[in-house]
Amino acid sequence: MTAAEADRLARVALARITEPGHVRLLDLVSDSGAEVVHARLLDHPEIGRRLSAVEPERELAAAAKIGLRFVVPGDDEWPPVLDDLRTAEPVQERGGVPIGLWVRGPVRLDEVGGSLAVVGARTATTYGTDLAADLAATVGEAGRAIVSGAAFGIDFAAHRGAVAVEAPTVAVLACGADRVYPQAHHQMIDHIAAEGAVVSETVPGGAPMRIRFLSRNRIIAALSAGTVVIEAALRSGALNTANWAGRLNRTLMGVPGPVTSASSAGVHQLIRTGAATLVTSGEEALELLGASGEHVLDIPRGKDRPRDGLSHLQRQVLDAVPVARGAPSVSVARVAGLPAEEVHTTLLGLEVRGMVELDGDDGWRLAALAHD
Amino acid sequence: MPFATARTVSLHGAVGHLIDVQSDVSPGQPGLTMVGRPDATLNEARDRCRMAIINSGLVWPTTKRITILLSPADLLKSGTHFDLAIAVSVLAADGRIPKPHLTGTAFVGELTLDGNLRSVTGVLPMVLAAAERGIGRVFVPEPQAGEAAMVPGMEVLGMRSLAQVVAQLRGDEVPEAPPVAPMSGARLLSWRGDERLEETDMSDLLGLADVRFAVEVAAAGSHHLLLSGPKGAGKTSVAERIPGILPDLTRTESLELTALHSLAGILDPGQGMVVRPPYTAPHHDASKASLIGGGRGQVRPGEVSRAHGGVLFLDEFPLFRSDVIEALRQPLESGDVTIARQEESVTLPARAMVVLACNPCPCGRFSVDPGTNGCNCRSPQLRDYRNKVTGPVADRVDIVRNLVPLGRADRGDRFTVPESSAAIRERVAAARLRQAERYAGESWGLNGHAPGPVLRERWPLPEPAQRVIDDEVYSGRLSRRGGTRVHRLAWTVADLRRLQGPGVEEVAVALRLRTGDPLLIGMLERAS
Repeated sequence: MTAAEADRLARVALARITEPGHVRLLDLVSDSGAEVVHARLLDHPEIGRRLSAVEPERELAAAAKIGLRFVVPGDDEWPPVLDDLRTAEPVQERGGVPIGLWVRGPVRLDEVGGSLAVVGARTATTYGTDLAADLAATVGEAGRAIVSGAAFGIDFAAHRGAVAVEAPTVAVLACGADRVYPQAHHQMIDHIAAEGAVVSETVPGGAPMRIRFLSRNRIIAALSAGTVVIEAALRSGALNTANWAGRLNRTLMGVPGPVTSASSAGVHQLIRTGAATLVTSGEEALELLGASGEHVLDIPRGKDRPRDGLSHLQRQVLDAVPVARGAPSVSVARVAGLPAEEVHTTLLGLEVRGMVELDGDDGWRLAALAHD
Repeated sequence: MPFATARTVSLHGAVGHLIDVQSDVSPGQPGLTMVGRPDATLNEARDRCRMAIINSGLVWPTTKRITILLSPADLLKSGTHFDLAIAVSVLAADGRIPKPHLTGTAFVGELTLDGNLRSVTGVLPMVLAAAERGIGRVFVPEPQAGEAAMVPGMEVLGMRSLAQVVAQLRGDEVPEAPPVAPMSGARLLSWRGDERLEETDMSDLLGLADVRFAVEVAAAGSHHLLLSGPKGAGKTSVAERIPGILPDLTRTESLELTALHSLAGILDPGQGMVVRPPYTAPHHDASKASLIGGGRGQVRPGEVSRAHGGVLFLDEFPLFRSDVIEALRQPLESGDVTIARQEESVTLPARAMVVLACNPCPCGRFSVDPGTNGCNCRSPQLRDYRNKVTGPVADRVDIVRNLVPLGRADRGDRFTVPESSAAIRERVAAARLRQAERYAGESWGLNGHAPGPVLRERWPLPEPAQRVIDDEVYSGRLSRRGGTRVHRLAWTVADLRRLQGPGVEEVAVALRLRTGDPLLIGMLERAS
């Protein structure tokens, strides 16, 4: 048995007896290696008994039969971005580099670098789901993978948007990667398993227990170059993912909703405290995700108006020119409070620009161009 | 006694009065007097009848004094369909037709100078009124026989000429006559778009989950609906698919609508009763008379009445003239229109589901994205437009939805199979059945038509649900009238969900539908 194989088997066994995101154990594994930790724990009276009951070879073989692979640090497929978890502060006692990830699907985890996590409320509004789908589709079309949690609401919409443009998408589950949760999304999760990647830190067969969603969220944040939150109430799980994205120094973005909408209050809070940058479209998310100089958008501004290029003096004179019936330059000068000579010259200049015109013999009036 | 009575019907809107046409043919100075408030078109009947009788080879009592009374005499009478009754009554008074053969019989039809019959509009409502007054047999122009036969228990004789009518009454052999041409306008009007509409289906629409749900609620409870969104967002596509998710008309609605179509002269005799909900979409240049109804002589039903039991779609409704929009208030609220004219006021049924559509601005090119924003509306125009959008008519709408143009995610969506109209129609029908059972014995059958005070009194919301509405009203986010609308809507949501009654959840859905806030996706789930 090679060292790598021994390490993998030790990790399978350790994964079986611990909860995902167990900070102390994961830190120990990261520091001392899985085999050492495994050997030490075998000596523990109670844990040792459980640990020795695990048959890691059989687990791996059973997993392989249903298309599951176990990706561990040191594998080619292991995405180095996950190692950032080693130094990140734990959140609610969860954290650490996962012992390994169970993966189902053709997309390799080392190929989803630069991906975008799209997360948000399960009880989203149709405004939020429409935006999430559209944003995911835009980012997906630009060649980046979309990572989310396959849950109701924003998650589902994000995957849907990615699938619509045939972009790679990764679903990180809280249950085992062989299982489907929520059941209503089996069609979507099956599709992702066939075309993208279904990922979980939880051992195969593991149930989607509440606590596992918290550790799951850190994987979503860590796998992605940035996280965008669309619709999260003040106590939403999506804020937990956002928290992780912040701790991992990922780009954190928030899509606002109406200020009166409770569904967006959490996002607004993120933006207000400066934790997240406001984005309103996939293009804007791409701009933040990209390397400096990539996907740079023009700063949006209103349409140019004909008056934009005028000097202060020209504007002052223009304001004094009547709309309908012409007036001689002397009376324009009186209204503007400027010397007649100066006003006359300025009016000639404005005529060249097409802003004023002569109304027969009556004098100057605004040209159509100046009505805007 | 040189005196006879033939019956016909005078229409005032959709209300018919049975008219006795009494003729007296006695010796005296030769001449013809017609009394009993005939209008100009009816006055011309004397000449038509005289020539028709002579040209039919029958005898006009030239040497006698003829007096014709249309009774009741105080009612203003109008129309050309009196001709047949007048001619028959004169002939009977002159002893050319046995008088007992006229009892229990009504006559409807216009005469030409050669004695042939011509089609007239409004035969169905006339025959309906006649049946209610105990008439068992009617003579009508042949093309309208099918229409008249829709009235149960009525013996209908479709005739081509006066000579045929007289022969039939005498029991003689009925002579040949050229067929009567159907109404000229009919085919042109009924052809408009109906076939195209039959081919549309809700399954054609991608995305729009929110609007699909709202439209289902609107259809289930017959709630008026406002769709707002830029050009190309799908407002018209949604509106023209609403009739497809409505169940067939009830027997009463069907009869009423068929009668209205008959009045409008757009009834296709080959089609029988109108059973599918109608769809009308007048342009924003439409006049008040064309929308509400009116015209000289016999009242023509407007688009609102022609959409009775179905959908009236007003695209770009802020561009309709203000007086037209104002005139819509009554039908929106009460389900009928009153057309006031010089001498009379006429009420027609007009219980249509009104669908209003508007753009974010008058030119419709506005977009929040500066890259695609092509709007060049000026602020006074915008202000006017928005005032109309929030004006009294929009306030009578139950459901407000904002549409956004389809995103790229909707076009490639693999996980949502849009439901067909038939599937939705089934749920709508089930929800309507629940309402019919609940409101049995009332004058309305759908939540959208239920009067607010009665609803609050007899079908109140549970305390916590009512409190949700009250909170919104006290905080000023919802008007009192809006509160009632939410109450109605909550019942429809409950009916669609097959619940005994609405609770906090249903009120939450209703509130969002009313205020235009997007629905939570969990709210979109349908009962299965």
